[in-house]
Amino acid sequence: MEKKKREVRNESSTGMSRRNFLGTVSAGALGATIARPVPRASGQEDSGNLPQVTITINGRVHQLRVEPRWTLLYVLRDKLGLTGTKPGCERGECGSCTVLIDGVTRYSCLTLALEADGRQVTTVEGLMQGEQLGPVQRAFLEEDGFQCGYCTPGQVMSAEGLLRQKPNPTIDEIQIGMSGNLCRCGAYDHIFKSVRRAAELRK
Amino acid sequence: MRPFEYYSPRTLSEACNLLAEGEPDSKILAGGTDVLVEMRKSSAWSSKAIVDITRIPSLRGIGESGDWIIIKPLTTHTEVLHSDLVRTHAPLLQTAVSTIGSPQIRNRGTVGGNIMNAAACADTVPPLIALDAEIMLKSTSGERVIALSEFFVKPYVTVARRDEILVEVRFPKLPANARSSFVKLGRRNALSIARLSVAAVVCKDEAGVVTDARIVPGAAFPRWQRVPEAEKLLIGQKPSKELLVEGGKKVSEVMISFTGRRWSTEYKEPVIAVLVRRALEACE
Ligand SMILES: Cc1cc2nc3c(=O)[nH]c(=O)nc-3n(C[C@H](O)[C@H](O)[C@H](O)COP(=O)(O)OP(=O)(O)OC[C@H]3O[C@@H](n4cnc5c(N)ncnc54)[C@H](O)[C@@H]3O)c2cc1C
Ligand code: FES
Ligand code: FES
Repeated sequence: MEKKKREVRNESSTGMSRRNFLGTVSAGALGATIARPVPRASGQEDSGNLPQVTITINGRVHQLRVEPRWTLLYVLRDKLGLTGTKPGCERGECGSCTVLIDGVTRYSCLTLALEADGRQVTTVEGLMQGEQLGPVQRAFLEEDGFQCGYCTPGQVMSAEGLLRQKPNPTIDEIQIGMSGNLCRCGAYDHIFKSVRRAAELRK
Repeated sequence: MRPFEYYSPRTLSEACNLLAEGEPDSKILAGGTDVLVEMRKSSAWSSKAIVDITRIPSLRGIGESGDWIIIKPLTTHTEVLHSDLVRTHAPLLQTAVSTIGSPQIRNRGTVGGNIMNAAACADTVPPLIALDAEIMLKSTSGERVIALSEFFVKPYVTVARRDEILVEVRFPKLPANARSSFVKLGRRNALSIARLSVAAVVCKDEAGVVTDARIVPGAAFPRWQRVPEAEKLLIGQKPSKELLVEGGKKVSEVMISFTGRRWSTEYKEPVIAVLVRRALEACE
């Protein structure tokens, strides 16, 4: 994917082929966007009195001061620049904000950042293997598991959570496991195929 | 969201003290799947402090004590779904939690939160009432035990005081000759908040004669309750298809005697009758 992206950048003056364009979009949807500069969490605003939390996100320990009302979703995106996790309904109904907390799928919009204190959080960015897409991300790309791609990071995280519990899910188990994620483009058929493919790729 | 204070007590007594002596307008937070949704509607949200009880280890887990099953309030729906004790001694509760929200909601939503939120559509409540569950509430002034069927006043209102914490849910194991079921009608399969549901328990002797029947509709009556009028029809009988249909109709009748006829009755009357029949058939 990275290779494709660079090609696109170089070509941009001469016009972008549809194939390369899709490649770029895919990479974004799958969380392969290069991590943005991470704003320093503490000392940004007058945050001296705010409670401090320590959250391990994608293997990296973050110490930050948070307002009690900040959701994990907000902190991931707006304080840490991890914009792979998407806001949708922000009331627990769509799944676009799905992350793993201590290995289990959760809606980050219904989780206070303070509740994540001391826990391990995995976002879609954390599924990258270096510069390469991880197996679940690769499966979504191979099986066309998305159209616009907005729901995709959430779908990928639900698939990852499901496969950690059930490495060889049946179709029923896939449908139940993915049932907390809506796709407005209706790509469900391809999403389910992607999860099956992901199960193979993870072996 | 409006600002609030946040407390994360590590022991039950610390939590009780916070609720008794701390900010009077505080709200307990468990899985947050109801609280966080409420918080976002700023108009409905006025609490000035959150008491997050999720770091109190003694409030977690499922166990047994003699003939009783004990479920601690922070137990998530996913944990109930995977519990062998519940599968063996209260299968209808397992069916009920399997229908709640989505995997992400079940991973986080708790049994205690489901009960204390007291929404008319709370899916654990009809099965727990059919199981004759009782709950224990604790505060700095002591503990009290209440039958779950006596706990609810009306949707979103219970007899609990705001300084009380639900610390235990318990119910007798179903007898070996019991069959139980939970059926629910939602608008779609996942993420469906129950419109109507029915929990049922039926015990029979060796001859197939009903010795005990418990029927608890969800989201149908002004408050949850068993329907003795319909249960009586079954007791002492060998159920036939007609009798189960009869039982369903009886529950409809009783529902209307409580709610009167209103815009939704035309729909609910036949639907609840069919759901009761299906729940009873599933106990055959
Ligand atoms: C998208 C979505 C779908 C849903 N689908 C369903 C469904 O299908 N069926 C269903 O029944 N519910 C459903 N719910 C509602 C909710 O998930 C459940 O009611 C859940 O069990 C609530 O538990 P919680 O731990 O998240 O509660 P919280 O939100 O933490 O708390 C709920 C209430 O209980 C109080 N409380 C919590 N624990 C205690 C305690 N130990 N002592 C005293 N008070 C306490 C809180 O102060 C609050 O008032 C859904 C919610 C969402 C957002
Ligand atoms: S944004 Fe969290 S579930 Fe929709
Ligand atoms: S791909 Fe567009 S919302 Fe799912």
